[in-house]
Amino acid sequence: MTAVRFSLNGEAAEVDVEPRELLLDTLRDRLAMRGAHAGCEQGACGACTVLVDGSGVRSCLMFTVQVGGTEVRTIEGVGSPGALHPIQQALSEHHGLQCGFCTPAMVLTALELFEADPHPTRERIEEWMSGNLCRCTGYVNIVAALEAVAGEGP
Amino acid sequence: MSVVAPPEAPPRTGTGTRRREDTRLLCGKGEYLGDVQRPDLKHVAILRSPLAHARIRDVDVSGAMTLPGVIGVFTGAELAPDTGEFSHHLPMIPTLRQITWSVLATDKVRFVGEPVAAVVADSRYIAEDALELIEVDYEELPAVSDAEAGLEAEAPLLYEDWGDNVFLYMPGAHGDVEAAFANADGVLQERFTHHRISGLPMEGHGALGEFDPASGRLEMYVSTQVPHTLRTVISDICGISEARIRVVAPDMGGGFGNKAHFMREEVLVAVLAMRVRHPVVWQQDRTESLLAGLHSREQVHEVEVAYRNDGRVLGLRANFVVDVGSPELYILGCAPAIVTTSVVPNCYDLADYAFEMRCVATNKCPMGGYRGYGQPQGIFLMERVLDLVGERLGIDPVTIRRLNMIPDEPRPYVTATGAVLDTGSFDEQLTELLEAAGYDAACEARDEARSEGRLVGVGIAQMVEPTAPNIHALAGRFGGYEMAMLTVAPDGKVTVAVGTKSQGQGHETIFAKVAAEVLGISPDDVEVSDGDTAALPYGTGTWGSRSAVMGGGAVIKAARQVRDKMAAIAAGMLEAPADQIETSDGFFRLGEAAIPFGQIAAAAYLHTFLLPSGMDPGLSVVVGYDPGNTSPFPDERGKLNVAATYSTAAAAAVVEVTEATGVVKVHDLTIVHDCGTVIDNVILDGQIHGAVAQAVGQTFFEEIRYDENGQPQTSTLLDYMIPTFGDAVRPRIVHRETPSALLGGFRGAGEGAIIVTPAALAAAVHDALVPLGVAITQSSLSPPRLRALLRGRPAV
Repeated sequence: MTAVRFSLNGEAAEVDVEPRELLLDTLRDRLAMRGAHAGCEQGACGACTVLVDGSGVRSCLMFTVQVGGTEVRTIEGVGSPGALHPIQQALSEHHGLQCGFCTPAMVLTALELFEADPHPTRERIEEWMSGNLCRCTGYVNIVAALEAVAGEGP
Repeated sequence: MSVVAPPEAPPRTGTGTRRREDTRLLCGKGEYLGDVQRPDLKHVAILRSPLAHARIRDVDVSGAMTLPGVIGVFTGAELAPDTGEFSHHLPMIPTLRQITWSVLATDKVRFVGEPVAAVVADSRYIAEDALELIEVDYEELPAVSDAEAGLEAEAPLLYEDWGDNVFLYMPGAHGDVEAAFANADGVLQERFTHHRISGLPMEGHGALGEFDPASGRLEMYVSTQVPHTLRTVISDICGISEARIRVVAPDMGGGFGNKAHFMREEVLVAVLAMRVRHPVVWQQDRTESLLAGLHSREQVHEVEVAYRNDGRVLGLRANFVVDVGSPELYILGCAPAIVTTSVVPNCYDLADYAFEMRCVATNKCPMGGYRGYGQPQGIFLMERVLDLVGERLGIDPVTIRRLNMIPDEPRPYVTATGAVLDTGSFDEQLTELLEAAGYDAACEARDEARSEGRLVGVGIAQMVEPTAPNIHALAGRFGGYEMAMLTVAPDGKVTVAVGTKSQGQGHETIFAKVAAEVLGISPDDVEVSDGDTAALPYGTGTWGSRSAVMGGGAVIKAARQVRDKMAAIAAGMLEAPADQIETSDGFFRLGEAAIPFGQIAAAAYLHTFLLPSGMDPGLSVVVGYDPGNTSPFPDERGKLNVAATYSTAAAAAVVEVTEATGVVKVHDLTIVHDCGTVIDNVILDGQIHGAVAQAVGQTFFEEIRYDENGQPQTSTLLDYMIPTFGDAVRPRIVHRETPSALLGGFRGAGEGAIIVTPAALAAAVHDALVPLGVAITQSSLSPPRLRALLRGRPAV
């Protein structure tokens, strides 16, 4: 077992894990951050996306021992039921989620985009988001929501 | 030059609709199966066959048993003595092979991915380690990897005692087809092929089971569209009374029909929970999902069409060969194909129709339901036939459809196969489509593009969809009704329980609206629970575009009963007849007098001395709702009205093909959609967006492939491509609202766009390829398939 220390949503976290343990499993099973979802465990669908030092990673393809010393951000660190992040608010207002399984990862991926570029075009949004798969919405209303956020940024 | 500008005013949003479900899902606080927590939860991993067809000589689990952290390792042979078997419950169909099967394979495996053994361990990591220590001695057998090959005389046999591989033979003869062909001016012969795909909900299947030996109770959490009927199946196989089983379907990451069957693994989890006396969970991973989840759609249609030179189609003969994979799936994997045969007449006046269908067992993953449920293939057949006959006769696609369309009168109209259509006007719907799509302008733009050498095409398609079906004829048991419970609490807040489980369709939001409207209160005062067998006696689940019709109808019926009782209480207080009491804005009113809803509720529970003499206290009802109109089994002529009502839709597509790459760009898509009364247009549009994306996926991206030995070639999402952001098609959506005669006026939604869109896309691609003289008769138009077609080679 290996001790791994990192920052999780701004707070110190420490876990003892086998070297082979995946970040997704550590977050979900040891740290109760269950907003990251196992959609494919093949790195293809993006439903497990979390931010490590501000960059989106597939937590199903990353070992927990790799995040030692980093800042990990999950959906639980983005908004809360009383205080949704503007991206979350927009997704709801535009009906940009149905089953919601892919949604937390969509929010995190979009968050990284908006932190780099507050006013992305539709083309940029579609290109940036294209590693996150959704089977319910046809993407139409997710794009509409993110375009609305892009139009309302500072 | 753009042929037609993509519609820039897309999704109608707003109207203030924020769904009930959204906040928890957006914050990562949904409770999907993988989020359900139990102390001491153990993990199940399943050993699956690496071979398409083999006899199991021996399974040696001794190595796996010694691995630390392993609780138990189970084989089919070990579980069999104490475990019941699955069957299709259809002894009344003499041409269906009657089979039974167990939760794990015992003597034979019949597809790559078939479950052979199961490990229960402290963690999924250990459970998967243990799988590698299980030794299986297989005697490999030759495989059937294609349905038509499976029909050949020398084909290997999946079930030796059958003598062939025909799982179901089903003929049908409606009208006088011989006379139709005798009177024809011409006959079109065509072969249509439909490829294999998967519904692929983003969350795979999964189940968690916990058995309490002291009480004998079994609690199951299952990602299922059908929790109540699954309870019945678990009861059968595990030998526990339904009264002692609770099945809960938690939040679901999609289903799309893939989760409307009773999976071996789901019942296996129940069996294991009883064996190991720990709570156990199995979560399907994506490779399991692609190998052994569910596949859909694969069919071959050989058709002969009798037509007159004026464009009238007189009769149709069809020979359906359906690849159902391994038939060990309940509900029957043939069920979608039976639907295919029944919807072929579509919205056309075709009385003379005969077919033969053979559902062939092959060494592939079981075929099952997926959004559309056999209808995309049937509609594709008829819509392609009309275009091809029209092309032969020089009649345009609009005219040939109008020539053959079911007239506006009478209603109901009974089709060749017995469907009793209660729909609106197909003629008006087509007119509305052409206007909304700018059809004439699109055709002109196509002609101009074609003159520039570009492969631009315009295509249209229509469909009528049986919704809210009665499934006795497909499932042997389980009918076509629904139940609802509605309780007003003493504080005037309302709880509704329904049996139609939401997989993302927003049922908490829409059923609150439906109940609130009847009760005259705000939807914010209504809580909805779905998917819990402890909350409602029974339900048939969510599939067949049935939730609004059946669940909504049940909620209306329940709400009316409670409202009437409350009105009677109010009438007593106001000393007036109950039928003069009106309900609105949270009050029961008589003229100027108004009693708050909550005050009536308090009277019913707390101040019961205020109740009219003889009235029971409390405000809670459980109702069953069956709108009728359906028949449980076909009549002596094979005619069957399966659906309580019918929805309709039409689509127009404009596409452009790039010849060198085989890539098709959808420039424009219009959907006209009539699902009767609309409950929530934003949620409804979302259903159409999703169905369109899946139609685009199945047409241009997705295909489950096997090699000639039955080895799957698509086991990851890197091999099985589904559309992503850049592939989004923004449909222009027009809602017609022709209310049905059923409670609420609903007709049912969710599937229409995936039924009609593939046919419209195929028509448009066909039209684009007219200059090259290439006809589209296949459902897959993926770049490799289309390139092969353009090069005149057989498809890969």
